[in-house]
Amino acid sequence: MSILIDKDTNVLVLAITGRAGVLQTKTMIEYGTKVVAGVTPGKGGLTAEGIPVYDFVAEAIRDYQIDSAISFVPPRFAKDSCFEVIDSGIKFLIITAEEIPDHDAVDIIYYAKLKGTRILGPGSAGLIAPGKSKLGAHPSRMFLEGHVGIVSKSGALSYEVGKILTDAGIGQSTVVAIGGGPIWGLTQKEVIKLYQEDEETKEIILLGEIGGSMEEEAAEFISRNVDKPIVSLIVGRSAPKGKLLGHASAIIEGNKGTVQSKVEALSKAGSYIARTPTEIVQIIEQIRGK
Amino acid sequence: MKLYEFQGKRIFKENGIPIQKGNLLTSVEQINKIPPPAVLKAQILSGGRGKAGGIRIWDGSLEISELICDMFTKKIKGEAVAAVLVLEKVEIIREIYLSITFECEKATPVLIVSSEGGVEIEEIAKKDPEKILTIPFNPFMGLTEYQIRYVAKAIIYKNFQELKNIIDAVYKIFKNYDATLVEVNPLVVTPKGMIALDSKIDLDEKSYYRHKQLYDSLLKEQRALQGINKDFKKYELDTISYIPLSGTIGLISDGAGTGMLTLDLIKDAGGEAANFCEMGGLTNPEVIYKAMEVVLAKPGIESLLVVLIGGFNRMDEMAVGIIKYRKEHDLKVPIFIRMCGTFEEVGKRMMNEAGIPTYDDLFEAVNEAVAVI
Repeated sequence: MSILIDKDTNVLVLAITGRAGVLQTKTMIEYGTKVVAGVTPGKGGLTAEGIPVYDFVAEAIRDYQIDSAISFVPPRFAKDSCFEVIDSGIKFLIITAEEIPDHDAVDIIYYAKLKGTRILGPGSAGLIAPGKSKLGAHPSRMFLEGHVGIVSKSGALSYEVGKILTDAGIGQSTVVAIGGGPIWGLTQKEVIKLYQEDEETKEIILLGEIGGSMEEEAAEFISRNVDKPIVSLIVGRSAPKGKLLGHASAIIEGNKGTVQSKVEALSKAGSYIARTPTEIVQIIEQIRGK
Repeated sequence: MKLYEFQGKRIFKENGIPIQKGNLLTSVEQINKIPPPAVLKAQILSGGRGKAGGIRIWDGSLEISELICDMFTKKIKGEAVAAVLVLEKVEIIREIYLSITFECEKATPVLIVSSEGGVEIEEIAKKDPEKILTIPFNPFMGLTEYQIRYVAKAIIYKNFQELKNIIDAVYKIFKNYDATLVEVNPLVVTPKGMIALDSKIDLDEKSYYRHKQLYDSLLKEQRALQGINKDFKKYELDTISYIPLSGTIGLISDGAGTGMLTLDLIKDAGGEAANFCEMGGLTNPEVIYKAMEVVLAKPGIESLLVVLIGGFNRMDEMAVGIIKYRKEHDLKVPIFIRMCGTFEEVGKRMMNEAGIPTYDDLFEAVNEAVAVI
């Protein structure tokens, strides 16, 4: 098994007729993802990439059994659209939009928790279960079916590490990008928990970055609950203090949020520490006794 | 966007939070109306100003203009003083800490209070974390009465209604202004009741579109005090984040994570980046064109490294932007382009036809960009 999605996951695409929606729907279908329906208000009755488009989520649900949704809705309309998905009872929603106001992001995630919907994002590049399905932007050729589970804040960094593992012949069970913050639905800790419980996943890779305390919280969880080998890479070793590096939370303030504090916590929790993607490959090979 | 104390206090007053009487001096010439003893507070955006000499007491023995002049000529925490707030002194019985913010990793708003507020709050957080009470609350309901009663008990304050009015007002500001932080530190207890002695408000720039008038006027006010008369429309759709650094290798990336990784790899290879420039994950030819313009404008750049690994970002569009830039400019430094991801076949073919080599391997591109120097 993979985590969160598998080959039979039926997918709904929100804002399927937009620029990102059309392109990503096409690449998802090419990969084998079961995209069954799309929603764009006002475009009901049309088709996009051969997929029927509805005005409302409730209308799509009447015609299809839907397991997961991925949203390409722009930031200012995101909250209402996410509420609609959550109200419809869909259990897993990926929000790709960056720049959603923090109050809206918190409202969405808080409501989702009350109603039992898992949120990945906002600002998530999505996830891929190689060989089975992908919901999001992960470039297909960089991933290979296998047994390493990856969780990353950054989408691009998860492609980077996927690519180098795939080139080395090391496949992945699932690769998840949770987004660059500052507000998160699924956290590193929660994704690691899913990998720990997943039979197919043999090793776990944690890709973190400077800022915040999520990696430290993940370390705390790992030390108590995880017995699978974990390899961590924290980027931003050479980042200057007090500067925001692209992601909303990637900032070092005082001594908080440094690579050092994260590496120490993870190392203490029993994680292997890699300094570069190449070292991740070496460590995985060592673990497997190659 | 961080607000100055006086801006935050104006919002406090409008929402019914008691503040001291005071007046704002934006220049040495302005006339003060508050008699001594008074408190003079330098208006800067950085925190920790009290310990850095940004708060002075005026007892009347000196001319106030001397003190004010001194404050305006000094930099506090590396920041020029935008204005001086003169406030009447109040009788303080004790100091409380109160704020509402988000606990980001739990995606919930929280009320944070401590019976020991003031400048030492960060020390208390480190040494006596149990003295700080963090109460998560439902964003749709706000704080409920039982939670406020709990706070009243924790900080040992008898006048429940007075405390409730203040907490309700802080929450209202947090929600209605799209703030990510509303902090009152200290909230002081005086013989006449509670007064907000300081204010700290952070507004969420991502919500600019629903507060255009308000955010613009606050920012305009700040820029005027800082002596910046330039166009203040910094919120216009620009996903590029650019930070100048001290090295010689220009760096452009299409993701923050890969950007930071590349920064580390450049250092490992013995080089140093001249900047960090991240375009965001969903871009177009104009964005990469503009990024190249911004990065190459910095003097002292000896090579340019462009790191592209497209998910949402399309390599064919990146190629269009890069080729256009090269056609229109006389490139003085060697460029190293790592290109892979969505539509990479098309992108690489276009680059090849234009005679610009690309790399698939990140390490190789980094090493070459460093080695050329």
